[in-house]
Amino acid sequence: MKTQGRNYVLILSLLAALLVVLAIVCVGLGSADIGVWDIILSFISPKDVMVGKIILSIRLPRILAAIILGGALAVSGFLLQVFFGNPIAGPYVLGISSGAKLIVAIVMVFFLNNHLVITSIGMVIAAFIGSLTAMGIVLLLSQKMKNMSLLVVCGVMIGYICSAITEFIIEFANDSNIVNLHNWSMGSFSGTSWTNVNISVVIVAVVLVITFMMSKPIGAYQLGEAYARNMGVDIKKLRVALILLSSLLSATVTAFAGPISFVGVAVPHIMRGLLKTAKPIVMIPACFIGGAVITLVCDCIARVAFAPTELSVSAVTSVFLAPVVIYLLVKGKSVVHG
Amino acid sequence: MDNIIKISDLVVGYGAPVVSQVNINVAPGEIIAIIGPNGAGKSTILKTITKQLKKLDGKIYIDETDDDSISGEDLAKKLSMVSTEKIHPELMTCWDVVATGRYPYTGRLGILSKEDNEAVDKAIALVGAEDVAAKDFSRISDGQRQRIMLARAICQEPEILILDEPTSFLDIQFKVDILGVIRRLAKEKGIAVIMSIHELEFVPAIADRVIAVDSGSMAYVGTAKEVLTGENISHIYHMPQAEAITDGLWQYANSLKEYLWQK
Repeated sequence: MKTQGRNYVLILSLLAALLVVLAIVCVGLGSADIGVWDIILSFISPKDVMVGKIILSIRLPRILAAIILGGALAVSGFLLQVFFGNPIAGPYVLGISSGAKLIVAIVMVFFLNNHLVITSIGMVIAAFIGSLTAMGIVLLLSQKMKNMSLLVVCGVMIGYICSAITEFIIEFANDSNIVNLHNWSMGSFSGTSWTNVNISVVIVAVVLVITFMMSKPIGAYQLGEAYARNMGVDIKKLRVALILLSSLLSATVTAFAGPISFVGVAVPHIMRGLLKTAKPIVMIPACFIGGAVITLVCDCIARVAFAPTELSVSAVTSVFLAPVVIYLLVKGKSVVHG
Repeated sequence: MDNIIKISDLVVGYGAPVVSQVNINVAPGEIIAIIGPNGAGKSTILKTITKQLKKLDGKIYIDETDDDSISGEDLAKKLSMVSTEKIHPELMTCWDVVATGRYPYTGRLGILSKEDNEAVDKAIALVGAEDVAAKDFSRISDGQRQRIMLARAICQEPEILILDEPTSFLDIQFKVDILGVIRRLAKEKGIAVIMSIHELEFVPAIADRVIAVDSGSMAYVGTAKEVLTGENISHIYHMPQAEAITDGLWQYANSLKEYLWQK
């Protein structure tokens, strides 16, 4: 058992190192050509004002946001998968991200039309309310349907409905800021401010620590409710905690970057495959780092691939991760319900 | 010896009562078998004892303490179970599944100590599942799984073991095996066992006392000899003239008992 623990630490450390390397590479990539040396220089003595400005106020916050929020999304997906006892759950496929998006859009348009400024915290709160509402609907549906694949279909439908209403609201709101809103509603880290990064760090860090400290009851819950209760787990409290924590994580992501597809459902699966375990004490940090790596790379591709035109992150994550979800659906049919 | 668990005037059910007037006292090392037709409420009683279901009325005392005033974690150290609910753990070896029984004893993050590791190994040895310990839980047979779940319950170091149909769906070799382990646990470790069972032929071999549940109450209580008469079986299972098979049943049961007790 000891050597196994050491292996997990080794793999996680390697992934973390990879994340750091990728982050440095991504800072260098973009429409303005900036070498690694320039980056280092800009930190030591910001002589070249232009380069320093691009790095510090545009690229760095964006890259940090991709790392923090991508990680948060994957952990959120893992928690939902534990909650539903099924590997094809995630905030995007269950329509929770889109619910958050809808409420954020409504609140934003309302504020813009009334010439008010919405704070970042306000956005998170709006997204959290949206997430919980969508989650509530999914929970109601899940009581009627024990089949997870059908639940996912319903989640996707909820997502479509929310997205349609969101587009409708955005289309008819008359403000120049709407252009940004449109980008955001497709999922994008573009234009992330330091304020948003700071708030994300605080929320995600707190939620992650709480989640990690709960890895023991979460692990017990993976054996099913009956056994978890027999081990002394307070099931009601745990279920509420799972919902609140996963919703808060995905709400933070949606508030700042819009709905990002499939990271939540696919990353936990990839990490399980990589580490050959589903133990929460390993999976929670693993999902965070894995989600960060994948989202960072996808955002970089979205930014650079067709520069100066930018893709939405969701377009990139979909291409890479939707096949993983399809694989899970096909496999799930024979394993979970067979 | 003092009773480790006392159940008095318990009413169980899902909202509406299914079985009322449940009174069971069990001493350490005693095995109680609950029999009765499908749907009579055997599982409902067991689920209420393990707190999967709220009791509708009555009291359960564990070691003289009302179980409502015992915390979940403390209760877990006294009482463990094997349910009929199938589990689908992902990427867990049998060893990992058994180790979950250590939950009430591990620290905040659930990291296993050396003692925990030893307790897991011991429990696995006790059920004779060393050969599958390293295998993935989802890749072993139902019989092996039942053994592992029993080891999991044992490694929780309970004083009371609640088993819901531990022998159903197993072939005869596994039935004999599992019942042998249960008997050893009770007699050697003094664990009190309450189990439901469908196979009447095994009841005399395993049970110190038998409770037959039917039509919303404990219809018959006593030793296997007292409860499993032709007349009673006719009543409990609504089988006219069950007397016709009772002699054969007892003959088979006696030889099974001899076989099981020899091992």
